[in-house]
Amino acid sequence: MIKKISTITLASIAFLALSACSGEKPAEAKTYKYSTVEVYEQTCVKCHGKHGEGNPAKKTPALNDRTAGEMAQDLYDVKNSGTNQSSGTDHEIMEHNMQKLVDKGYDYDINSMAEFLSYLVKSTK
Amino acid sequence: MKKNEILEEILAEVDKHPEIMSRRDAMKYLTVSPMAAAILAGATAGATEVQASSVKGKVVIVGGGLAGMSTAARLKNSAGDLEITVIEPDPISCSYQPGQTLVGAGIWEGSDIIYNRDDKLPAGVNLIKGSVTAFDPDNNKVTVDGKQEIAYDQLIIATGLMLNYAAIEGLDGVITSATKDNAATKAKVGKDGVYSIYFQDGAVDTWAGIQELVEKAKKQKGQGKPKLQAVFTHPNTPIKCGGAPKKIMYLTNARLEEAGVRDEVELTFYPNGGKMFGVPEYHEAIVEQYKVRGFKWNYAHNLIKLDTESKVATFNHHWKEKGAWDEDLEEYGVELKSKPVEVKYDFIHVTPPMKAPDVVAQSKVGSSKGWVPVKKETLQHVKYSNVFCLGDVVAVPMGKTGGSARKQYKVVVNNVISALEGNQKAIDDTNVKYAGYTVCPLITSIGTVMLAEFNWTKKPTPMVPLDPTQERWIWWLLKVYALKPMTVMGMLSGRA
Repeated sequence: MIKKISTITLASIAFLALSACSGEKPAEAKTYKYSTVEVYEQTCVKCHGKHGEGNPAKKTPALNDRTAGEMAQDLYDVKNSGTNQSSGTDHEIMEHNMQKLVDKGYDYDINSMAEFLSYLVKSTK
Repeated sequence: MKKNEILEEILAEVDKHPEIMSRRDAMKYLTVSPMAAAILAGATAGATEVQASSVKGKVVIVGGGLAGMSTAARLKNSAGDLEITVIEPDPISCSYQPGQTLVGAGIWEGSDIIYNRDDKLPAGVNLIKGSVTAFDPDNNKVTVDGKQEIAYDQLIIATGLMLNYAAIEGLDGVITSATKDNAATKAKVGKDGVYSIYFQDGAVDTWAGIQELVEKAKKQKGQGKPKLQAVFTHPNTPIKCGGAPKKIMYLTNARLEEAGVRDEVELTFYPNGGKMFGVPEYHEAIVEQYKVRGFKWNYAHNLIKLDTESKVATFNHHWKEKGAWDEDLEEYGVELKSKPVEVKYDFIHVTPPMKAPDVVAQSKVGSSKGWVPVKKETLQHVKYSNVFCLGDVVAVPMGKTGGSARKQYKVVVNNVISALEGNQKAIDDTNVKYAGYTVCPLITSIGTVMLAEFNWTKKPTPMVPLDPTQERWIWWLLKVYALKPMTVMGMLSGRA
């Protein structure tokens, strides 16, 4: 009897797995301590500059050479220590720095930050 | 698509390995369960969720692999008046890549995964048997084989990626997974203890290599000799099917256990990164699975050189040390350190570094990292609004799997049609967004699979209320018997 029930359960589960192909669950909403602008103006700006121009003396890269879409990808990589299972990240220094900043409450939404940066860059051109 | 064709294919697979699951058992689940109904519905139903559009225009799809061909089929289903052209040089571009792991472990034959481009070309879609040699997005055209210019209204890039064996000193070749033009790579890979399932011929050779390892282990059993060293690598680039480097390790383990010689071999994983998986729940589950099986692992090792004569692999081992005080950060910074580490091997599975094809990377549609930059939710190019991209060549996090492509191609089709209708707002506001879903059916032994589903929230996103970190035979049924027919018949027809 138990076996029979589990068969039916598993079959139904498989059905769900295969039929629930469309429809993504929406990402859960997250609230942040500081606004995107506050995060940039209180932290990022120190090394990456007022307009994302970077600081050669500190070897911090410019952020004004990429589109918002590309920026979002880079931020995702930095915040998640890479974007593959075991490939690692090519932003090792910033991975460390970002973690410290997040620990201090300077967390932010990736798309919002990417959009803000592209606005900063445009405002200088 | 005839329903019994799919069922027959599933049962034919089951029949090959009665020791894992009998036909009777499989029939029981397939015929009495709604699972079969779902598979068949997916493969045979009409494209009901897509609004039929009467929009006209010229769409060029560069690449006729799983991503490109499925997109072509769905576009044709959704907007029958479109003039659609697929450009693909490889006659077996539609081969079933997820099966290479199973070929490598001797569960499938090499011929089980080969599917012909020409058989999978949707009716009413044009095919150009050639390679794109230049992209000119400013003038809306591409060049084929250096001579033929093709103009488009909308361009879809689905070229796939290149396996860059040449980036490892001692190996050679920059190849695709299906190509037969792979002599440079095969000169060193597929023999003498060096194997790689990432290309078709390499997968076939890997099975010979595993059997050879088993024989070696049998020979030395009970003689108290040092253990044979089996090494599994994972490079520092994004890779297709991020789980495959681990799957082939699990399957090698299974074959050694089956032969009763597991004790004679040490299995060690050398990934460039510092974890098993981006999703903490899956990371922890894999670490547990490794412990149970007695696997070893050394993080932060990137394979840079292979000396196939002396059987020594050289890794770049890297780590961080506490750096100077950083006034801006108000914390100590980090300093990056690295050194070469030499490892003796009897058997090594190489996961090659991967990159976008040069023709894409170095063109205006590429990027400094090579991959095609898109807005990751809409898959629209960041600079060219009439260029879309999907599959292995697109720059989205964690997206290089067939499971990702299955989500992406529907997004691309919707947005290309909106673009042709001149409705950018529909693209930006659509609720058909790519959320980063990907799936890794992590084969953990012969007969069990952990179905790791996740998206950009870095949380497990299982479609069913089952603990997703557990290894289950039901997912083996899905991975080994059902996914290929679902993909080859359902997805390539643009429906599932």
